[in-house]
Amino acid sequence: MWFFRSPEVVFGEDSLSFLSNLDRERFLIVTDRFLATTTLPGLLKESIGSNRQFMTFAGIGEEPNEDEILSSISDIREFNPEVVIGMGGGSAIDSAKIIYALNEREDLTPFDITPLEEIGLGKKSILVAVPTTSGTGSDCSWAAVFSGSKEKRKNEVASPEILPRYSILDPSMVLSLPPEQTRNTATDAITHAVEAYGSHWRNPYSDAMAEKSLELITGSLTEVIEDPTNVFHRGNVHVGASMAGMAFSNSQVGLAHALGHALGARFRIAHGKAVGLFLPSVVKFNYGAVKERYDRLNMIFPKKFRKESLDRTLTSYFLAIGQAVSVKSAGLDGNEYALLIDEMTDLAMESTGVLTNPADSDKGRLKEFFGEVI
Amino acid sequence: MAKFPSDEWVSEYERMINQSESYKEAGKTWEGDILFVVKPDSGEGEPNYIYLDLHHGECRSSRYVHPGEEPPKTQFRYIGKLGNWKKLMNGEIDPIQGILTGKFKLEGSMMKIMRYTKAAKVMVDTVSKVPTEF
Repeated sequence: MWFFRSPEVVFGEDSLSFLSNLDRERFLIVTDRFLATTTLPGLLKESIGSNRQFMTFAGIGEEPNEDEILSSISDIREFNPEVVIGMGGGSAIDSAKIIYALNEREDLTPFDITPLEEIGLGKKSILVAVPTTSGTGSDCSWAAVFSGSKEKRKNEVASPEILPRYSILDPSMVLSLPPEQTRNTATDAITHAVEAYGSHWRNPYSDAMAEKSLELITGSLTEVIEDPTNVFHRGNVHVGASMAGMAFSNSQVGLAHALGHALGARFRIAHGKAVGLFLPSVVKFNYGAVKERYDRLNMIFPKKFRKESLDRTLTSYFLAIGQAVSVKSAGLDGNEYALLIDEMTDLAMESTGVLTNPADSDKGRLKEFFGEVI
Repeated sequence: MAKFPSDEWVSEYERMINQSESYKEAGKTWEGDILFVVKPDSGEGEPNYIYLDLHHGECRSSRYVHPGEEPPKTQFRYIGKLGNWKKLMNGEIDPIQGILTGKFKLEGSMMKIMRYTKAAKVMVDTVSKVPTEF
């Protein structure tokens, strides 16, 4: 027995206007501090309609912690939103999930969000995701990640009840995404697709999403990097990233995420860049366990990037799009990195990616991965 | 061949856990005892209990709680029907998937367990190595 869970997806040009159809009055927009200074919140409000009541909570930083996320929860409860919209990248959408849950259940802490029991959400409001990056898959997942307030680690909470009701994939929300973020988030999505496809928990639904997402992303990403305003290709990458999110959130990720999360807990590095750094090495390590699957994914990449094996294709593709393939090219301090390898290995061992990765590994092997990308 | 569950089975399991280098590594910071609760498939009758005191990569003590005995209070309880325990032991269910599909119930901190999924996997892999009869 297993499940396939997904929000209702509204996609394509003008999909933001769907929100004006919702028969609700009070809209809470949860976003990050940077996005709040752009035109996107205005565009979103305009699409919903000026006759509604809005509250914007823009207190989310790059790596939000519990205190930051809940800094305005009293005001939010007083506003009593009927729609909670997470607008932004993974941090803003994940924060919106936690705010949505704690607005409904005042007796909970974020750590009470668990799949072990019914929480009883959705009585006051609905949750909507409006991603402004193409890669995190947070709009399609039932997990939320936030940093510890004291400990330097990332916490992940999960419940099917924090899966957004709607995911709105409007290309207008990503047209101004800078090249560096476009690359990093797309690399995250590629990593989601590849890891979901090899995961021990893979299933026919996640397979279909992983294959198609890889086709959409790799078929359009270089075009987006060349011409960021190309709506057709932006739309493909945006939908592909969401599908990759559906793939991994229904089958889990593997060691590239275990290693990338550990790296991200110790260094200031974009999540996509961190997981992409390890993906070719992890794929090479896994090849014997899922050869046929990886060979199939390899054939999905455009011919001009394709090599004889998926790990080599990934390296070739990452180099072509300017994605880091080593600690040095990722701009990290090699000496500091070397000193922290043991600590990062311990953190990586705590990840569920170790359990779902197609090939078994141990602490010694995880440590080697960190060494392989220096 | 040891009957599951029984004194003999639990003793053999403890021995094998303590021989496992993988468990030693994966569970080296784990502190906490756990009760395996094996419920009858029919839903009628008393459950069987297996107690394990796990500490820093080692099983410090274990025991089969005999029918009629009060089960000890533990940090964690991992609860499932006998049929699902059989599937777990045969590798048909993995321990975390078992929770997410409702075949097993976990009482205790899910957050803590999720940091030790590798240790949980080694524990289950070890279960499958104990020569068992049902």
